[in-house]
Amino acid sequence: MKNNMGKYVVRLICLLLGLLTIGVTLFLFLFVFWKGKNVISLSFLLDDPSGMPIGTDGGIFPALMGSIYLGALSAIIGGIIGIGVAAYLAFYSPCGRFHNVVKGALFGLSGIPSILFGLVGYTLLIYQFGMSRSLICAAITVAAMIVPFVAIRAKKIFDEKGIEYMRNSESLGLSKEYALWRLILPACLPELLSTIALGMAYGMGAVAPILYTGAVMQAKVPEKLTDPFMSLPYHLYMLVSNGFSLEYAYGTAFVLMAFLLCIQLLCKLISYFREGAQWSLKR
Amino acid sequence: MKKKIVDCVGKGITILTSTLAVALMAVMLIHIASESIPAFRELGIEMFRLETEWRPVSNNPQYGLMPAITGTLYTSALAVVFSLILGIGCAFFLNFYVADKLAKVLLSFIDLVAGIPSVIFGFIGLTVLVKWFAAHFRMAAGQCVLAAGIVLGVMLLPFVVSTCSESIGQARRQYELSALALGFSKEILCVKIILPAIRPGIIAAAMMAFGRGLGETMAVMMVIGNSPIYPSLLGRGQTIPALTALEMGSIEYGSMHLSVLYAVNVVLLVILAVVMAGGYLLKRRADKHEE
Repeated sequence: MKNNMGKYVVRLICLLLGLLTIGVTLFLFLFVFWKGKNVISLSFLLDDPSGMPIGTDGGIFPALMGSIYLGALSAIIGGIIGIGVAAYLAFYSPCGRFHNVVKGALFGLSGIPSILFGLVGYTLLIYQFGMSRSLICAAITVAAMIVPFVAIRAKKIFDEKGIEYMRNSESLGLSKEYALWRLILPACLPELLSTIALGMAYGMGAVAPILYTGAVMQAKVPEKLTDPFMSLPYHLYMLVSNGFSLEYAYGTAFVLMAFLLCIQLLCKLISYFREGAQWSLKR
Repeated sequence: MKKKIVDCVGKGITILTSTLAVALMAVMLIHIASESIPAFRELGIEMFRLETEWRPVSNNPQYGLMPAITGTLYTSALAVVFSLILGIGCAFFLNFYVADKLAKVLLSFIDLVAGIPSVIFGFIGLTVLVKWFAAHFRMAAGQCVLAAGIVLGVMLLPFVVSTCSESIGQARRQYELSALALGFSKEILCVKIILPAIRPGIIAAAMMAFGRGLGETMAVMMVIGNSPIYPSLLGRGQTIPALTALEMGSIEYGSMHLSVLYAVNVVLLVILAVVMAGGYLLKRRADKHEE
């Protein structure tokens, strides 16, 4: 009898905790989407912010474009460096001292909190190098944050799929570069691109690194790299922390979350379909 | 000849990018260390006295770091407790009481939470949790360390759930058939066999989650209240990243205040390095043990 009681208690606890976790997760999404859906309209997406204080009327178009520019720029910089590092680690130096140094640097970078990138970017780029608060300055800071994110995942991809190609092509007498450019990169391209896209989503959502390096409360859509810019998460933070407009904050959060979720779902779909076509087992 | 050049360029690019990554790490560390030297030299142990307050802009400035340091550790520990309780329960639930296919869908659904930017967590925490605290606890504004702990706990959930359910899966493959053959029920298998078996993995995951929590900026900053006092559960508090984010924009370059900010981040990095290295070693030992 007592044994049976214990059984039900364990079952109940598991059920409760499981449902609570899933409930919290669901709540996060539903809350933002439910509250934000009334604000969303075409003019909200395509107008400049206006009103007094700024952001209480109009739209978020410059913030949306600013975020996309920032994401794309930092994903290009961080993606190229990240994949280069991953290729070096996977194919050129599978062991040795420099290998360990690079690997250690990657793990170190991935552990550094995002605010420290912001702090160093701010004092180093703006005070010591004399750059202005600008898109390129913020992009460099965010790119530094993305590099370890991309490199660690890209190395995993290369290790899973690339090594086999490399070994076979080397045994046929092909050079490493030929194998890398003609065989491995095309074969891994969808995975690598989706890794970079995930890195872009990660960089677009971060506020801490762009807090003082480039994001501002109001700006036009940036035309040059040296222009300051608006960004969705920064806009959201300003609206909320200054208590300007809660309603528009819901709308901004909706757009930001929907955008990032779309990127992630797309990447999930890619990996799902690619997995079916291959023998390699992930997870 | 042409081929040789192409080969060299290919190799050169990868070496160049690797050097860049190493240089980036070196620049970060050297810059943070060198900027913090004035603070350590002039204030030294003064910063870490328990009774020194954080009054950087008064006429007689005091730079006490202990409130922010304890606040960071407290908030993150709170978050790890919440996320472990929920995460382990959820991992067992998904592994044992839900059909495999549904469990996979739910797991990747929970994984999506990891992609939500921290500012949105802060926003939801502010509009839901803090409001609720203000209404039910007779607090002036509702911003408190507990709220920050809960928000941070939810942020850590996907990591905890996925690592726990991975180790449960491994332990299950090892023990399930023998346990069931001996006539144990599913519940006994969970509590008496699998839970002890995955304990090293859980501790490693807890340390890693703790490390992640330490560095979280925006979400914590928006709900914790940002008062430089020692943390209490329902009182305001301050964490190192939040302090940095709030104050770095308004400080003159080259001042002692900025140097102290760098010093406190050196402390944060040291704590992070210890926690992460501990978690990494534990995880490696746990993995070896399971093999």
